[in-house]
Amino acid sequence: MCDGGCLKHPLFLRLRSVLVVLLALLLLGLVTRPLESPAWTVVKARQPEMNLQAIEGALGQGLVVGILGGFRSIMADFLWIRTNTIWERRDRVKLDAMVRLVTTLDPRPEFFWINGARMVAYDVPNWRIQEEGGYTDVPQSRQRAIDLDQAEQAFAMLERAREFHPQQAKLYLETGQIYLNRLKDNAQAAKWFLLASQQPDAPYYAARIYGELLRRQGKDAEAYAFLKQLHTELPDDPYAQKGIILDRIRELEATLKIPLWNRFQPKAGSAVLPAGPSLEQKVRMLEQAHDHAHDH
Amino acid sequence: MSGWIDSISRIRLIAGNTFLEAVRQKFFNSLLLISVALVASSTFFQQFDFGTGELKFVTDFGFGALFFFGSILSIAATTQLFFSEIENRTALTMLAKPIYKLEFLAGKFLGAHALMLVFTAVIMLVLAGILYWRETALMARLGEEFLGGRLIDYGDLLVFGLLQWIKFGILSAIALFIASFSNTNLYTVVVAFFVLIICQLQYIARDAYSAMEQGVGQWLVRGLGLIFPNFQLFNVGDQLVFNTANPLPVGTVWQIVGYGIIYTVAFILLAQVNFRKREI
Repeated sequence: MCDGGCLKHPLFLRLRSVLVVLLALLLLGLVTRPLESPAWTVVKARQPEMNLQAIEGALGQGLVVGILGGFRSIMADFLWIRTNTIWERRDRVKLDAMVRLVTTLDPRPEFFWINGARMVAYDVPNWRIQEEGGYTDVPQSRQRAIDLDQAEQAFAMLERAREFHPQQAKLYLETGQIYLNRLKDNAQAAKWFLLASQQPDAPYYAARIYGELLRRQGKDAEAYAFLKQLHTELPDDPYAQKGIILDRIRELEATLKIPLWNRFQPKAGSAVLPAGPSLEQKVRMLEQAHDHAHDH
Repeated sequence: MSGWIDSISRIRLIAGNTFLEAVRQKFFNSLLLISVALVASSTFFQQFDFGTGELKFVTDFGFGALFFFGSILSIAATTQLFFSEIENRTALTMLAKPIYKLEFLAGKFLGAHALMLVFTAVIMLVLAGILYWRETALMARLGEEFLGGRLIDYGDLLVFGLLQWIKFGILSAIALFIASFSNTNLYTVVVAFFVLIICQLQYIARDAYSAMEQGVGQWLVRGLGLIFPNFQLFNVGDQLVFNTANPLPVGTVWQIVGYGIIYTVAFILLAQVNFRKREI
């Protein structure tokens, strides 16, 4: 059938050349593997934002340009401006893709994560409820399901953000805020506010809100103990709002009916006041004086 | 021995002429000017930024300009310089003399690569100057944030430039390899750009195959990962330039350099295999 002529056919020769080149490149890949493999392990470990898991679901032109190398920051910035246009148009499918794209391209600014999570957790549920007939027509259970669904997406986004910024209090606070303001889940919100308060850059109010959330859950004793401890540990900084904490402590003391002599005495106050009998001693002295008066 | 010296001398002559020809091209000069202007204006673009640190933004912008315009230049210039010899029939005159085709290709490559060295050096120097200026201004403003010294390692900035130059070398060699069997300038440029994209993204396919079930698909992806060089390996700017607690080991830098050189030489040799059979 083929008496050697087809072996000299131009098509066969071309195919043979292609195969030889491919084979050579394959061998080259194998030869360079001992150099490439360890180097790639080191380089890849330092680029968590560019692994497959991170970029799947965020594919788009912007991402390709970003992966190609460079301009990632400016690309993410311009795409964020575009994300806002999409947000104004209430296109929730595109919005989700764009937020993923932006945060994948440049995961460094926490601005993208926090604002993206807010759009997903607060705005999109409103749009979805409006699409289904509005707050008056959509049953409460359905509204709750939508809120939960969107909040889960926002939590996943913030969870990823914390992989890049593990000690950024704002990201813990944001999760707490969603639990508190959208899902009205005080217990979960308290957990996240406490976590936020334990981060190095935590604002003073994170711990204060945690104490307040304990109170809202009816855990008055726990809230009282926490706020007392907090008041002792906080510096005398106007931003720490120690006065507000002391007010809460006093309210809790009234609620818990703490005896007067067992009530909290601010440390800073004791340093200012002249040394003398403690409040408990003074009350006892007053009571004794009162008893004496009765005896007479 | 004298054969080797003669050969090197011939390659040097071809490379020198190629470089001069390339430097005189308007394309190179305009691309260099645009790149320098873009890097220099990075502080202007920072007003669009939503929270990346100023130095990181400027660095990212500079690396972006280097990669984007450098890739265009290395592919377009190599292709143009190769085909100009073929189209003007000067290659015929040259190869009629005792010049081997490998010497011709090596000379063309080295000329184009020298051009890329100039381009990379100019961009990196402009970037280093802007970073130094901005960092000094920031240090004066926020002295307490810089107690550990400067954030940017300017020596490593040049190391990064060197790595990018090596990457452009692979790209030029790939363009030369494609040009060796292609008939047109446009075809070479288009195919070389596709190869560049594959090389830059092939690591994603490799990540994917590790999650795939055993089968034909997995073998195909594994083959793809072996056939195309991994350009993402050279994307180590942030790790090199910023003083971090966990810097890139020197050994890794050498591995990347070795990897780049092996691929460059291999593609030039493959180009020679094709070019040898080619009728000019």
